[in-house]
This record gives sequence, structure tokens and C-alpha cells, in this order.
Amino acid sequence: MQKILALMMLAICIGSANAENVPQSPSLPTQPPLSPTAENIYAEARPKLLQIRTLLDVAGRQSSLGSGFLVSADGLAVTNYHVVSQHALDPKTYRLEYLTTNGSHGALTLLAIDVINDLAVVRLDKPDQSVFEFNKRALDGGLSKGERVYSMGNPLDLGFTIVEGTYNGLVEKSFNERIHFSGAINAGMSGGPAVTSDGRIVGINVAKQVSGELVSFLVPAHFAAALVERAKSTKPLVLANVRTDIGRQLGTWQDGFYKAIADQGFRLATFGPYKAPESNAAWLNCWAETNADQVPKPRATVDVTNCHTDTWFFIANDLNTGPIDFSHSYVKSVDLNQFQFATFLSQRYQLPWLGSASSKRYTRQRCHEDFVAAADSNTRPPVHTVWCARAYREFEGLYDVSLLVVTQDRSNEALVSRLGMRGVSYSSAVALATRFLGAIQWTK
Amino acid sequence: MDEIIWVEVLSKHRDVVARYRCSGPEIHIGRGYDNDVVVDDPYVAPVHICVARDERGALVATDLGSANGLFSDKDVARMERIAIEDDDVVRIGRTYLRIREAKHAVAPERILKPSHTRSWITVFYLTMTLLGMSAISAWFGETIEPKLSHYIFPMLATAFITLVWTALWAILSRVFSSHANFEANLLIALKGFLLFSLCDVLVDYVAFSFSLGALFTYEYVAAWLLFAAICFFHLRAIGLSRLRLKGGAVAVLAVIAIATQTLVQSENNSSKYQQSYVRRLKPPAFRLVPQKSEPAFFSSVEELKAKLDKARTDEPISDGIFGGSDSDD
Repeated sequence: MQKILALMMLAICIGSANAENVPQSPSLPTQPPLSPTAENIYAEARPKLLQIRTLLDVAGRQSSLGSGFLVSADGLAVTNYHVVSQHALDPKTYRLEYLTTNGSHGALTLLAIDVINDLAVVRLDKPDQSVFEFNKRALDGGLSKGERVYSMGNPLDLGFTIVEGTYNGLVEKSFNERIHFSGAINAGMSGGPAVTSDGRIVGINVAKQVSGELVSFLVPAHFAAALVERAKSTKPLVLANVRTDIGRQLGTWQDGFYKAIADQGFRLATFGPYKAPESNAAWLNCWAETNADQVPKPRATVDVTNCHTDTWFFIANDLNTGPIDFSHSYVKSVDLNQFQFATFLSQRYQLPWLGSASSKRYTRQRCHEDFVAAADSNTRPPVHTVWCARAYREFEGLYDVSLLVVTQDRSNEALVSRLGMRGVSYSSAVALATRFLGAIQWTK
Repeated sequence: MDEIIWVEVLSKHRDVVARYRCSGPEIHIGRGYDNDVVVDDPYVAPVHICVARDERGALVATDLGSANGLFSDKDVARMERIAIEDDDVVRIGRTYLRIREAKHAVAPERILKPSHTRSWITVFYLTMTLLGMSAISAWFGETIEPKLSHYIFPMLATAFITLVWTALWAILSRVFSSHANFEANLLIALKGFLLFSLCDVLVDYVAFSFSLGALFTYEYVAAWLLFAAICFFHLRAIGLSRLRLKGGAVAVLAVIAIATQTLVQSENNSSKYQQSYVRRLKPPAFRLVPQKSEPAFFSSVEELKAKLDKARTDEPISDGIFGGSDSDD
């Protein structure tokens, strides 16, 4: 389980107030000299780079930091949504400011956001002639693995930096497109550009994997190009309606996601006398666990399969949503009596963890539970089922839902299945849960 | 006429502290040594009151010109004369007095409780049951390697808590009623704790059998009521006087405890308080409620949606320092 949690921990590369506490050591480890290409790229890119700061309006002090880059001569720049999220959600408390490499600064206006791809388009208070261009091959998905990619940004508020790394294609087993970049992206570089050796954009720095080394992620350039087009052609975002906008984006995305899961279909995996559904979708990460090797010998055996998607979306520090996870635990008594077995089973009968329970973000969770018998009792076991759901206060029509099922046909073995859905419409949740529950079978 | 009149000095709690046998027809009460009853109270005059019969033959207390006066227990006003009735208490200075004639009727003889040994047998059986329950619950909960300590520790803990609890009440009883009443208090504690365990087990099984996870959320109400009842019986063992006051006090405390916990639960959003479902499973044979069909289950689930949607705007935002600041949707 720890393995999985560690893998799920994608750190979002945003500088926070903590970054300021990083001691600015005068003797930073000396890097090997960069290749002349990097030198040239940086010289070329320097005027187009921005540091994007979120300031606490009252204090005028930075509350978080990120990077950004200019993309059009009328002063449009691209960054990550998570870099500007505080301002987007609470414009009265936070304002945005940019800082260029030569030290000039000014105000930023938020024009458009894409929470699914963690992108935002902002407008500078003055136009600028030098801008980045998107890499045509990257837009068409024509880059090849191993190509040199240079990522730029301002890590930990230490100054603008260029990092050399390699393009490693799109992340496999991911529903949302992300470029796997093997290079050091650090907090504060979020929203900065990643370019090929011709200085054209292939992606936007977004995250790194804490549990890995130099495993970083970029948002593919075509999402940014599309958002820039949208920002140019439609009216700018009205901050008062930003939640409606975010809710709509999440809603549209989850419609597609849940449809894709349904379309991919389920196959049945065997657990002792039971059969339980597992998704055919390639973008589910599944792991298995057992207690068979435990010492002393366990008094009930547990075999667990659990699967999750990595479709996390950052909305605010205490609001991350998106993924689905499910698990099946097959528990069989070795020498426990039926009461002890029930106690043992109870330890597994826990709702999936859905994330923080901030009452500012979510309603109280409400549950419904019942003993449920299927119409066809020859193929389907009787179960006890719990359904718990909470609504998102800020986004109408979105809920976090968990389903918990335990078979009730035998007193010495059972299957506990759990399904967790975040940021889902109620109807999609009911549809998937019905299918999930309906697929739990037994052989008498 | 030489008759006998008893003057009783009472404590603040109306227990008899001293009793004087006086012969009438006139009794003087005060701090001076020339009185029939000498009261050691600096707020009492050397000769404070005189008790005598009036023309109809009734006892009357008369103030003999004291500074602090004579009061009836029933009234706050200072009195010159008080006609004494059976259970009346009068106050002079800070001393409470009750004056009774020899013909005062007393309550009939109370029957002595059955012999000592029999109640110790009850104690023994109750103790065994309580320890047995703790052992069984340890046994049912034992899902890892069996060890004797898994049984010994809960049993010892139960015994220790019962003894400490009983000792505490015995001390209180000793302080307020001069009897430790250990045996009676032990019986109350044993019965109470047994009920506690039974209630816990019952809630556990009923919650599972009827699929009523919400029962756990309200288990504390029963627990507090039981706790209040136990305290009441202990108070009753201390003394039978002022039972209403004792009952009232215990009830008020129980209500306050329940109200406070309800408030905390209603305002707390943490997962500890909101995931109310049957988390302690029992063998499937204990199911008593009929199974629902799948469509029925999902239609109940659909009904939750309306409640959640309502809660989106209605439910108060309660946690976090900045909670409530964000409502621009």
C-alpha cells in the first residue's frame, strides 16, 4: 500500500511560502558547464521568461511563486493553473504580479484557465515583442524519445534557470496526456516553458514525482496553444464566475472519463469462490498484496488487488479531485471462528479515502447502507453495501462517492470490494456503482 | 408538669448533630451556661430563645431579644414567635434546631436486609459475569496469534476500574453519611458496568442486524443516561434524603453532557463523526432485516442526492479559521 501511495504523490511544482526559507547558500554546488546550445537557448529565451508571483493583497508579500512565458505580442503569457489558483479562487485576497529577468514587474490579468491540463493564460500590463513560438512537431506529436529538451523557470526563487533533459514521450497508463521529461524540475518552475534546441515550446513544466529521480512531467504544448487561442477569441474570464467555469470543465472531463471506463468494459477476476470486476482500461495502475508471508502465520488470509487512476486535478491546496480507485480483498479464515472472522473482516470494511474533508469545500458525507440481494441469487452473492457521498459546495453537480461491499454468504470467507470516485456526477457514480456491484459474482 | 422535650441541633444538611433531653415546661436556649441547651455558635445570644407552651398547649419558640433573631426554616422573615410543629426547623444565628415532644411518632422499624453473605454471593456472580463478558469480547476480537495477555489485561482493567470507581464512591459516602457502604456501592458499580457492556454489545449487534450504522452515532446518549443512572444510585446509597435534588442534579448533568456532545458532533466535519455505517461486522447469520433488491438500494441512494444538494447551500461551514469567508458561488 505504501508503494502505491508513494507513487501517487506527484508533487506540484509550485514555490510556496516555504521556499523563502530555503537558505540561499553562497556556495551552491557548481554545475558542469552547460552545452553551448543551452547557453544560446537561454540567451534567446531570457526576455520571454517570467516569474509569476501571487501576492497577498493586504501585505503585498508573495504567498506563492511560479514561472510563465510570453506567447503573443499583445502581452499574453502561459503558466500553470495551480500557479494562479489562489488569485482565481479568491481575487479579493490575492493578486498576481510578474517579474521579468531584467527585474521589471507589473500586474497580471487572468484571462483563461484549463484545470484539466493545469494551464492558465494571463495578460501582462504591457505588450512585449519577444515571444515564444510553439514547436510544430510537438503540436503534431512528432517528437522522438531521447530528444533534448530544455526546461526553464525560477526554482525556489533562486533565479531563472535552464535545465537540460530528455523528452521521453507521453506518460503511459495515463488517461490525461502528460509528457515524461527526464530532467530536474523544482518548486517554482511550474508554468515555465520546456523547449527543443530550436527554442520552441514542447510543453509546460507542471510536476515531478517525489518518489523518483529526475522524473518530471510537462503539459503537452497543444493544450497551451488551444487555451491561448481560446483566450484570444473569447471574452476574458469573469473571476466571479470562475467556479462555474471550473465546475463545467470538471463536469465535461468526468463525463468523458466515465464513458471511457464504461466503454473499455470490465473483465472478471477470480477470488476464491468469488468473481469481481477489473477494468480493461490501460490507464489503471493495479497492484496486488497478500499477507501470506506474514509472521506469525496469519489467522485469516487476505489477498488484495487495488487499482487507481492518476487523474488528479489540483483545484486548490485543500481541493484535489479526479481519480477513481477500487479494490477487492478476498479474506478467508484459517482458524478464526465466525465472530473473530467478522472482527477481522471489519478491519477491511473501511470506506476508501477520498481526501481532505474541509467543510469549506465539501458538504458533510451522507451514507446509505443495506443488505442487498441480487435478483439472480445463483450467480450473485448476498452482500452488505454502504454508499457514502458528499457534494462539492463550489461545484454544482459534482460529488465524491464511495461504495463499500462485503459478501454475506459465508461466515468464514468473504470478498470486500471498494470503489472510490472523486468529482463525479451523481448519475455517472450510480451507473458505475451499479455495474461494479452487478459484476460481483460467486460460485456456490 | 414535668414533661420531656427533645431539642435537636441539626447540621446544614439537616442531620442530627446533638440531641438534648430537656424537661419543660420552659426551655431556654442560648450560648450562656444558664440555659437548658447550650449552643456553641458565636452568632447566638447568651439567652436567645425560650420554648414554652401557649394557652392552647402548643409549643412556641419566642425570641428573647437577640440581635440576630429567630427564623423559621420555611420563611426568610425574622419572627418574634414561632409555633412549633412536628418537623419544623428553626434557625438561631447559624444553628438549626428541631424541637420535638416525647410523643413524636417515629417511622416503623425498617426490615434489615438479608444476610451479608448472600449479597457477597451476588457480588461474586456479577463480578464473574462482568469479567466473563470482557473475556468473551477479547476472544471475539482476537484476530491475531492467541495470547493469554489479550484476556488478562482487559479483565484486570475492568476489575481495576470497578474497584477504583467503587472506592471513590465509598469515600464520598463515608464523608457525607459516615458509612462507606462499600458493598452497596460495589453492587451498584458492578450492575452499572454490566449494563454498560451489555448496551455496547446490544448496539453492536442491533446495528448490524438491522443495518443501522447511524445507531453508533447516538450510542453516546444511552451511555450518558446509563452513567447518570449509576451516579444517581450511588448518591442514593449515600443517603435517602433529598432524592429529588440528587435526581435533578444528575439529570441536568446528563442533559448537559448529551447536549455538548451532540453540538460537537453536529459542528464537527471530521471523518470520525461522519462515516456512520456498520463498521463492526458480525457473522451473516445475525442479519434480521430483509435484504433489499439492488434497484431498491440504488433508489435510496438517489434520494441522498437531494439531501446533498440541499446541504451544499444550507449546511454551515464550520471548520478552519477562515471558514465561512468563501461564499461567492
